[in-house]
Amino acid sequence: MNASSVADPTPSSSGSGDGRAWIIEAEGLGKTYGTHQALRDVTVRVPPGTIGLLGPNGAGKSTFIKCLLNLETPTAGTARVLGRDIRAANRSSRERVGYSPEQDCHIAGMVGCEYVTYCGQLSGMSLQLARQRTHEILDLVGMGQERYRPIDTYSTGMRQRVKLAQAFVHDPEVVFLDEPTNGLDPSGREHILRLIGSLHRDLGTSVIISSHLLRDIERVCDRVLIIGHGRLLEHDRIDALKERHRRIVEIAPAGERDRFLAAFAARGTPAVALSNGRLRVESADGSAGWILELMREHRLPPAEIVANPDALHELFIKAVASGQPGADDPAAPPLLADHGRQP
Amino acid sequence: MDASLDLSRWRQTPRGVGYRRGVMIFTGLRQLLQLRLFKVLISVAWSAGLAVAALGFVFSQSVSSGGWVESLAVYFGPRGQAFAAVLSGLVLLYPDICIDGWFTAVFWGHSYLGLTLSLIALTAMVPRLIALDRATHALTVYLSRPLTSGDYLLGKLGLIAGVLALLWTGPLLFGWLLSVAFAPGTDFIVFSFGPLLRALAFHAVALVALSAIALGVSALSRTSRTATMAWIGLWLVFGAMAQPPQAPVWIKRASFTQNLAEARQGIFKLDRALTLAADTLPILDQRTKQNFAGAGRRAEAADFPGALASLAAFVVAACFVFLRRLRPE
Repeated sequence: MNASSVADPTPSSSGSGDGRAWIIEAEGLGKTYGTHQALRDVTVRVPPGTIGLLGPNGAGKSTFIKCLLNLETPTAGTARVLGRDIRAANRSSRERVGYSPEQDCHIAGMVGCEYVTYCGQLSGMSLQLARQRTHEILDLVGMGQERYRPIDTYSTGMRQRVKLAQAFVHDPEVVFLDEPTNGLDPSGREHILRLIGSLHRDLGTSVIISSHLLRDIERVCDRVLIIGHGRLLEHDRIDALKERHRRIVEIAPAGERDRFLAAFAARGTPAVALSNGRLRVESADGSAGWILELMREHRLPPAEIVANPDALHELFIKAVASGQPGADDPAAPPLLADHGRQP
Repeated sequence: MDASLDLSRWRQTPRGVGYRRGVMIFTGLRQLLQLRLFKVLISVAWSAGLAVAALGFVFSQSVSSGGWVESLAVYFGPRGQAFAAVLSGLVLLYPDICIDGWFTAVFWGHSYLGLTLSLIALTAMVPRLIALDRATHALTVYLSRPLTSGDYLLGKLGLIAGVLALLWTGPLLFGWLLSVAFAPGTDFIVFSFGPLLRALAFHAVALVALSAIALGVSALSRTSRTATMAWIGLWLVFGAMAQPPQAPVWIKRASFTQNLAEARQGIFKLDRALTLAADTLPILDQRTKQNFAGAGRRAEAADFPGALASLAAFVVAACFVFLRRLRPE
């Protein structure tokens, strides 16, 4: 499935497992700005769940989301959100959809709770219901008494929370979150990630989360879409992607790194020394038992062993590299290379 | 911070697009009404409405047979009584000229105040229409919901219409209703209806023109200051340049306030009311007739079709501007 211009729309491990319809169906979706093709021939069907949308800057992630929300008019193809055609059913395709954009957006002069209530009403809620739900949602995203202050006076983190609240207020069936943890402090980030992770599990609300933070995606999502150069490069469940990924084990020795390297070389499984002091080896079955045995045999000092670290990171780099022109070049970076990841 | 989900679920059918547009209008109006300026403007506008009611009421009570003028004329001797009787007679014989003319003059005067209040209100509103929404990316908030850019525009148009209704149309209708409610005869209702319709027609022309121009100016910039300056420039600077009678025609056509002034003359037809009075009413002396005829000539629209065409061009140009800017940025 790698390096194809159009990823398999219905990967083997996908399917609408819980019997519900696809939340997103795109067929040949494209968007061109002048001569620049921001999105090319994206064909995909996404089942309900928590889905990560990955891709480097300018890959077309935001364009993909905007096209699905009709904020940008696709120049090619068709798409359906929650079974509704985005062009033919322009308004109703967004009735059960929430969106928290990456950029700061609010309505000037409004206080936080008034703004979220207003957004609920714009989605068709009555004033009374919108007010009630606003306070529940603001509690949920961790907003306290700040909700009674004008949004213009909010810090970046508070704006992020109120932006999330407006996306959730009308109880959407699917919500698009573009970099939802930007500007949040560590505890706020942890809180929001837990919230996002529980949305589909507890409420059945599907989440499409676009983020550069792969660890966040890996933590809360059960499925990923990888977009690069306007193309859909990968689409599958995270565990299935990891299955397809070569088994990598990282060892962080307490000392005597050269002896570790020599031991691995002697066994015929050469290790790669990473810039962060760790060693990376390929494990045939993904287990670390044989490494412990090797350390006992060679009386090596203790080491931290991490199986399959940053699989998503590796997949992401590999997918993006394979999506580039000349991806079949044998000189392409090997999987075991150190991609400059920091410890 | 607890991230556990304990929400009241909302799975009802969302209310229709009409409700959502209405929410935009009423929320916008509620925000505006929190401003001190708007409270002052509304007080002035509704005071003017009361003045219209008072003028209509006093007129109908004065000139009707057995009214105040006839009662007071007793104190001015037989000549005064005869004059009062003739005045009442004229209103009875020529209601189409007297009542129509009076209300045309009252509504004409009210339109100056209504238009001025609306222009002041729009000066404060222009940044809030589209400019601030562009600056704060609020368009994304609107258009990611079940609303189209057309709904957004209708909401903004509704907001302007609401403000003009509060400052201009509302007080006028209130004044007219109050004045005819206590009128001594149905003539005052029947013959004041024409001037009212003409006043409402002028309101409609002004509403369309002002709404489009205000939205266009607001869409020009993302900053409040630039949008306000552009509006003031278009209103006051061009208005002042077009004011002198010897100003070139193209400058007159480039001022939307000048065009509205000519549209007012063309729609209200105060010139016709004055000329008709001068030609028809039998008791007027030659000097009064000449004064009426002279005032009628001055009240005549110089180029009514040209003014309407210019306003239409303003509307088209403004639509071109704001329709191009109505995309999330």
